[in-house]
Amino acid sequence: MLRNASDSWGAPAKLFHWVMAALILAQIALGLMAANWRVSPTKIELFFWHKSTGMLILALVGLRILWRLANPTPELPAGMAAWERAAARLGHFLLYALMVALPVTGWIINSASNVPFRIFWLIPLPAIVAPDEPTADLFALVHGGLFTLLALVLVAHIGAALRHHFVKRNTMLIRMLPGTWRTP
Amino acid sequence: MTKVLSLLWLCGLLLAVPALAADWKMDPAGSKLEFIATFEKTPVPGAFKEFDARVRFDPDKPAGGSLDVTIKVTSADMNIPDVNKEIRGKDWFDYAAFPHAEFHSADLRRDGKRYVARGTLTLKGVKQPLEVPFTWTAGDGAVMEGEFTVKRGAFGIGLGEWAAADVIGADVKVKFKVKLRKG
Repeated sequence: MLRNASDSWGAPAKLFHWVMAALILAQIALGLMAANWRVSPTKIELFFWHKSTGMLILALVGLRILWRLANPTPELPAGMAAWERAAARLGHFLLYALMVALPVTGWIINSASNVPFRIFWLIPLPAIVAPDEPTADLFALVHGGLFTLLALVLVAHIGAALRHHFVKRNTMLIRMLPGTWRTP
Repeated sequence: MTKVLSLLWLCGLLLAVPALAADWKMDPAGSKLEFIATFEKTPVPGAFKEFDARVRFDPDKPAGGSLDVTIKVTSADMNIPDVNKEIRGKDWFDYAAFPHAEFHSADLRRDGKRYVARGTLTLKGVKQPLEVPFTWTAGDGAVMEGEFTVKRGAFGIGLGEWAAADVIGADVKVKFKVKLRKG
């Protein structure tokens, strides 16, 4: 089952979800370590992996958004309150927006600080803004602020998934797991 | 007889003058001295904004010429504010202790279409033999251009944990273009 249906996610959508979930968690760890490490070769190495992973996430989220728009989105379980539906829509919108905005603001920081960089040593990353220290400082703050927002939305996302599974006992979480899960 | 001899001697001297290497002074406006380091295998260009070259050179007779370069190390600019702060320190250029670098050569030779100046580079207090290849283009004055590679480790540029070459490469490419005027 490649394509999504009204009650199930296809394999590509699941793959996008879990691969990006793993990358985003690794990315958060790399970013926090890179930002706080003392100036050393290790710090440069951590930033190298953080930037490379960020650009990979940006490429994947582009494909993921296209795939999502080209497919039906499985419906939310019946019996959800209007505020729950609204919160789910807002949360998912924010997740997509942040998956784009975090790499883009990181890219702006890298460009403004004028650091030549090749993604995974291979692809030279072009600058999207002119070198300028105040711009780099400003976007470092924006990047940090967006990260805080992402952390909050992720806690809500994981909390909501667990609530659907353990409290509301519906198939919301199960239908995102690999393999074919039939709605009972 | 002595008059004839001294006349001959004078003629000889006059003939010899064009063969003497000319003295050249650098025009800073048309000159640049760049160095290209690598971070994570990606070239990161920098430049010494202030340096001076004095050249004694005749392209037809390079032997007997000389090349003397002084570099204001503290004028280094790698175009990245954080990096510029970092390279001042003891682990890198150590501006406080070694504000200048020098290159002196009195051994200039032809090498095919190019020339080579063999001499000594003094950088961060370390003297190392160095061969500097260059081309010579005469025109409105003259232009010397060339590039070579140095190992930063040989001069103690990047000490301690920075000595490892996997994050910041061991090789630094140096490129120069020196505009010269007779003087």
